Parts: sequence; C-alpha cells; structure tokens
Amino acid sequence: MRTITFKINRFDGDRAWTQAYDLNHEEGKTLLWALTKIREEQDPTLNFTSACRHAICGSCAVRINGHAHLICKTSLDEILEIYKSDELAFAPQANFDVVRDLVVDWRPMTERLETVKPWLIPTEDGAADTGFIQTPKDFHKIASPTDCIQCGICASECEQLAENENFLAPFILNRAYRFAVDSRDAAPSEHIRPAFENDLWKCLHCHACVSQCPKGIRLDREIAYLRQESMKMGEVDNAGARHAYAFHDDVQSKGRLNETTLPLKTEGMLKTMRRIPFALRMVRTGKLNPLHFPKAVNGIDGVRRIYAKVKGGKK
Amino acid sequence: MLQYDVVIVGAGGAGMNAALSASKDSNLRVAVLSKIYPTRSHTGAAQGGINAAMGFRDPTDSIDKHFRDTVKGSDFLADQDAVEFFTTYMPDIIRELDYYGVPFSRDEQGRVAQRPFGGASSPRTCYSADKTGHVILHTLFEQCLKNGVKFFDDWCLLSLVVENGKLEGLVAMDMRSGEIHPILAKSVVIATGGFGRIYWSRTTNAFNMTGDGTAACFEAGIPLKDPEFVQFHPTGLAGTGILMSEACRGEGGYLYNNKGDRFMSEYAPSKMELAPRDVVSRSIELEIRAGRGFGEGMTAHVLMDLRHLGKEKIMERLPQVRELALDFESVDIIKEPVGVRASCHYMMGGIHVQDYKTCATPVEGIHAAGECSCVSIHGANRLGGNSVADVVFFGKYAGLGAKETAQNRSLGNPSLVSAAANEWMSKFSRMRTKTTGNNLFEIRNRMAEAMWYNVGIFRTEKNMVQALETINELLEAYQDTFIGDSSVKYNTAFIHYVEVGNLLKLAKAVAMGAIARKESRGSHSREDYTERNDAEFLKHTLIHKEGDLYRLDYSPVKITKYQPEARAY
Repeated sequence: MRTITFKINRFDGDRAWTQAYDLNHEEGKTLLWALTKIREEQDPTLNFTSACRHAICGSCAVRINGHAHLICKTSLDEILEIYKSDELAFAPQANFDVVRDLVVDWRPMTERLETVKPWLIPTEDGAADTGFIQTPKDFHKIASPTDCIQCGICASECEQLAENENFLAPFILNRAYRFAVDSRDAAPSEHIRPAFENDLWKCLHCHACVSQCPKGIRLDREIAYLRQESMKMGEVDNAGARHAYAFHDDVQSKGRLNETTLPLKTEGMLKTMRRIPFALRMVRTGKLNPLHFPKAVNGIDGVRRIYAKVKGGKK
Repeated sequence: MLQYDVVIVGAGGAGMNAALSASKDSNLRVAVLSKIYPTRSHTGAAQGGINAAMGFRDPTDSIDKHFRDTVKGSDFLADQDAVEFFTTYMPDIIRELDYYGVPFSRDEQGRVAQRPFGGASSPRTCYSADKTGHVILHTLFEQCLKNGVKFFDDWCLLSLVVENGKLEGLVAMDMRSGEIHPILAKSVVIATGGFGRIYWSRTTNAFNMTGDGTAACFEAGIPLKDPEFVQFHPTGLAGTGILMSEACRGEGGYLYNNKGDRFMSEYAPSKMELAPRDVVSRSIELEIRAGRGFGEGMTAHVLMDLRHLGKEKIMERLPQVRELALDFESVDIIKEPVGVRASCHYMMGGIHVQDYKTCATPVEGIHAAGECSCVSIHGANRLGGNSVADVVFFGKYAGLGAKETAQNRSLGNPSLVSAAANEWMSKFSRMRTKTTGNNLFEIRNRMAEAMWYNVGIFRTEKNMVQALETINELLEAYQDTFIGDSSVKYNTAFIHYVEVGNLLKLAKAVAMGAIARKESRGSHSREDYTERNDAEFLKHTLIHKEGDLYRLDYSPVKITKYQPEARAY
C-alpha cells in the first residue's frame, strides 16, 4: 500500500512544530480530503479553514511545498506528480499572521484593503432607485477582476509583500483596478492614488501571483494599468515612472536599453552615486561597460514605426 | 460586558444587508458576528441568479407573474401576502444592488441581463454569468466597509438569552481567543443560513451550514416552521454533490437517461428541463430507480448535456460551471455531457417569522432573514433564483425592523446573560478535558445516512419513523461524546461539537414534520400518501422545543389571490 506523508506546520498560539501524518494513498482525491481525513481519523486538534469545497468561498488556501493552493480544488495526485514525491509539506499562507496551525488572521489585510476605497463611488448617471446603464463591453472590463474570491493566495505568493509591508497585496490592487475601470465609478483616481502611494511601482513583475491565482486573474496587467493611470494623473516624477520613461525613450531612440544611463534617469545623480560600488562590481564581472554607448539596432525604423502605430492607435 | 443596540448574526447576503439597513440610524451601535470571514459566506455559492420582474428580456413579464409563479412553485403553501410584498419590491432591490456596484451581466441596451429559470413563466432571473451570489456577497461586503460596519469575524453564536418571550442578549465565542462573551443587545437579526448539512456529504451546502442560528432560536422558544420541506437540487455533480447551476438548464441544457431519451418529456412535457427543482429531482431519481441511469449505488446518475449551447455561450454564461466540472469530474462540458444527480440544496423551512415586513419572530427583539428563516415565501418548494432574492430582500427589511425594535427597547438584564455565558464556559472547559466517549464524527455520519436514506427525496412512514428513532439514539449518544482537543484558542473541534448538536435537533424536527405531514406537496414527496391533501394539510407545520420535548402544531396559510389548483408543468 502506498503511503503519503503530510508534514504539517503546527502552531498553538505559543509553540510551533512540524507534525507528520501518514495516509494510505487513494486515487482521485483532493488535498482537502487529506486534511479532513487526518482531522477526523487521526488528530482532531488539527486546524484549518474550509467551507464551500468548490473554489468560490476562498477559505482554504494553504501552502504546499512553499506554494499556496486552494486545497479544495487541488488534486492530490497532480501535486504528487508535480513534486515526484510521496511527502508533502503543508504550511499556512505566507505574509499573514498565523492564528493556529493553518489558520491565518485576515484582519490586518482587511484594514489594508480599505486604503483603496474598495467600493463603488457612483457617477451621477445612476441612482439608488434607477440603477445604471452599462454596456456589455463595459461589463466585460469588470468581469474577470470581480472573479476574485479573496483567498489571499496572491498575497502569500507575493515576493514584494514578503519584504515590504507598505506594498498592497495583489488582490487589493485588483480591487482598486476593478473600480478604476468600472464605467459606473466617478472617481477612479480615488482608488488608484492610494495604490500609487503604497509602492505600486515596487511590484517585481515576478508573476508569482498570476501563476497561482485560482481564478486566472491577470494581476500583472492590472498593475501595469494602474501605473499608467497614475502617470496620467501626473505622478511622473518618481523612480517607477522615470524608469518606465527611460525604457520607453531608450528603446524608441536606439531599439535597446542603455544600462549606464538607466539608473541616472531613474534615480537621479545622487542616488546613483550610492550605487557606484555595486556598479563597479558589475563592471568587474563584465556585466556592465560604462564606456559603451549602444548604437541603434538594425531595424530601428521598424521599432519607431511600432511606436508610431501604438501611439496612433491610442488616439 | 459587550453592549450593542443591534447585533446581527451571520455575514452572508442577509446579514450584511441587514447591517447596512440597521446602520441607517447612525445613533445605533450595530455589530455583525460571523463564524467565518464575511466573504466566505454561503451566499457566494449561489450561481444562477436573482429573480425580479424587471421586464427587460420579456416586456410581458410582470410582478403579478412573478407572484403567481412563486405561489405555484410553492405548491400553494407560501403566504401570499408576503410573496406579493416580496415580488412587488424586488425590482427596487436590483436597482439598489446595481447602484452599490454589483457587476451584473448586461443586455444589448446596457440593462441588467435576465435568463429563463425553472418554474418561471418569463425569463426574469437577473445574473452575473454564473457567479451571481459571489458578486452580490462581495459588493455587500464593500458597502459594509464603506459604511464602517463593525464585524466580529470568527465569532460563533452559542445561544440566545430570552426571558418571558423577550430578548435579553446572546452568548458567543470569540474563536481566536477562546473567550465566551455575554453580549447585551436590544435587537438581533439571525441570518445564519440553512442546515443542509443534516445530510452531511449529500449536499451542495458548505461545511459550516449547520443551522446555528436556527437551533439557537429553536432552543429559545421560537418554533421551526415547515422544516420537512427540503429542496434537493437536481443537478449536483454525480461524485461530489457539488452544484451545477440551474442556469445550465436555464440556458438550454438537456437531461438524458441511458436510453438516450430526454426523459423530462415523461414528467413535465411542457416545461421539460425547466420544470421546478422538486419535479426534476424526483424525475432523475425515478429514472435511476427504473434502471435508466448510469452507474450504481451512490454514484448512480443521469447525464446533463450542454454541448449544443456551443463554446462561446458556455464560456460567456457558464464559465464557473465549466471549471467545476473540469476540476471535480474531469469533464469538459463543451465536449462531453456531465453526470448529475440530486443533492440536498436548500431548506424552505426555518425560524418562524410572523411579520414579513419586519421579519420579527414571536420573541420580542429577535428578527430573522434569509435561508435560516421561514417567512414563508417559498412554501413547499422554492423556485431557483428566489433565494438570493430572498436573502437580500428580507435582509434589508429585517435590518430596518431590528433598527426600529432597537429604537424602542432597552438593553436586557446583564446577570441573566452572564449566567447563560457562564454555563457555556463550564461546558467548554468540561469538553476540553473530557477524553472518552462516543465518536462525534460517527454520530454526525450516522445522522446524515439516516436522513439521506429515510427522509430524502422519497419518503414513507416506516422509513421516517426509523430515522427518527436513530436521531433520538444519536441525541442520547451526543450527551456522552468528546472532542479530543484541549486548546482554548481556535478550538474548531469544540465548534464542530456545537454544530453537530444543532444539526441533530434540527434533523429531529425535519423528521417529525415529515412524518406528520401525510400528503405529498412540493419537495415533500411521500410514497404512502402520493397526493396533495389541501383539506387536511394546507397549513404550516410549527415545531416547538420545550426543554427536551418537541411539540408539533400548525398554523394557517395566508391565501389572498391564488386559490390552490393542480400543479402541472
């Protein structure tokens, strides 16, 4: 009989430990089945949260071998196949405070959520006794972002959030986006500005959130949109926006980046000076040649035509 | 001691809308207790839509048609004054939800989109793809955040304190700290959802749908109304019972038996797959019994075929359903039919509400709304799309009712509420240290088995009496069970112990009501009394709990416009 070992991070409020449980393998089961079976047949003190068991309530996100999953819809066999191992490590979601075992505290995240005014600021086109007219096209803009079940998986996966408490979890940025693009919302900037003020530009583009989101929400594109909108709101004098402009300008003029001037354009002379030791190390290892000012790439005309086309298309 | 003017128990659609209504008086202190984080609530699992006679898709639709369909769907057991109130003002609720920001699907003119649903004579179910409940739940949560509603997440209701028919307060556990709190309140709204978990694994319900508020009201002297009416949703996934939205049939899905026949032609020749849920569920079970299903035993099923809708329509209107079939049955409904079978879905019965305009119960100070309550607008069978509607609609009026109640009452007696809390504290400490006794999960599973096999879709006296005996034995066994967790903090084993106790009491009431109702009406289908019997049973069941005694009596049905007639589809 094949045995699967579940090594689970336990925590009782004071003490933390890892506990291993063995289950006989059964085909076609979910990870939630496994935790439920352990709780009901081996250890009633094991705590985790789950409710709907069909991926709509968002209660049951847990980290397995480091990555967060909704355990109700995640197949045990698929996970075993991915890791090619009959031993799995279960841990509570990262970037949350743990209440007990696999249960996390949502209160601090809810407080952070409130910073983006996560509610509709209605335009004068609608009223409580008439509702709104919204085109199917405008509805489609909010269809995917309102799929969010607030399971917190994106927050658990987020590399920026792990280092920077000021950053807003991706699902919070999603909520800001959801209202910013809603044709019924009168004040997109009220949702976008708080995102901007909370290190919006610090997202690393690592796509960890997107790859694990159980609803396939394109958080990366939403973040890009929020950044563009913040620039349109006049927030252009900051490292993030300057960095984006540097990319834009370099590629437009040469078809490639100039890595020597990039930090100057992004952070200015003073901050860049502080990076000199780092730059010297890069020079030493051949990563950077400060004397190299790249020429325009072959086909630069094509690049410029793309720019013209994109800009023309926007008009 | 915690003191609030209005305490709302449950943070689903009904509870949150009640909180928004009650908060309209800014002088009142309003708090919402929820055993889970608000957006985890089961309202979010509602898929297909919310009924309101907007007349967008079908200009001939009317409030009166919605009224008539609901009464006919209820097999004439609904109270018609309440149904008329509900159907008349539902369109206002849709406009209000739109204004709150609910992302409704839209028609070409930009109005809220509507689709056909079972038992409806016009397409009037407003929707957001197939996640209508989800988006409404999240929108109400957003509105609560906007209005600064005070939430107590991970707080579980233990009991209501009532003296001489009047509310004094309530007792609840803060699960994170393990502290048990007496809470004084001038009024409460119970909005804790249904108790489909009496069938444990044969239900579309979430794990936590254990009727905590219903059981607390039952204990506090409020009768349970019509508990025997249990809705079995025809299209649960064959293997897991997970819900495949009624929108599947609404959008044009077919049901096939193993002969390749659309068998609904035998049972509801005019409505076919769009007959109401009770009719379709029974038809599926009869096909399986006659050997025309697929598979055997617990996995027996019929097939639902959506392929003819085409990929585009499925992706636009039923994206979640497609995901669920893929994730849980490895079936892509664009390419193949999926196995479905009836699964317990909804409780028509519940806390006896005696004033539909305020959702007040017989106990002064206690209001109830949503699935936990019984107004009754659903009677013996609820129509699809009337549940999210009920939740949001009566949540609003219960909140307004509780606001008015609180404005006219003072806080209760602290020593009574403290005494009740102390009893729970002793019980908690006793259960934490008790290490032997009957296995709680076995008690729960035996209850579910007895209910599924004997008080399920088809019922007979003999089987139900047997189920009742089993439940009585289990209530006895429950007195000597143990939880196996000595922790104070976040002791879900103790919470589950409370939940199973609640389920047992409610299961007993379901069985009692079902045995006494010697007729077939709506979802209550008896093989020994196959006809509806208006002469004797056109009345609501009321079950009272007086200590350990369960007493049954009846109350009249309010009939205003539609006299009972044969119910054919």
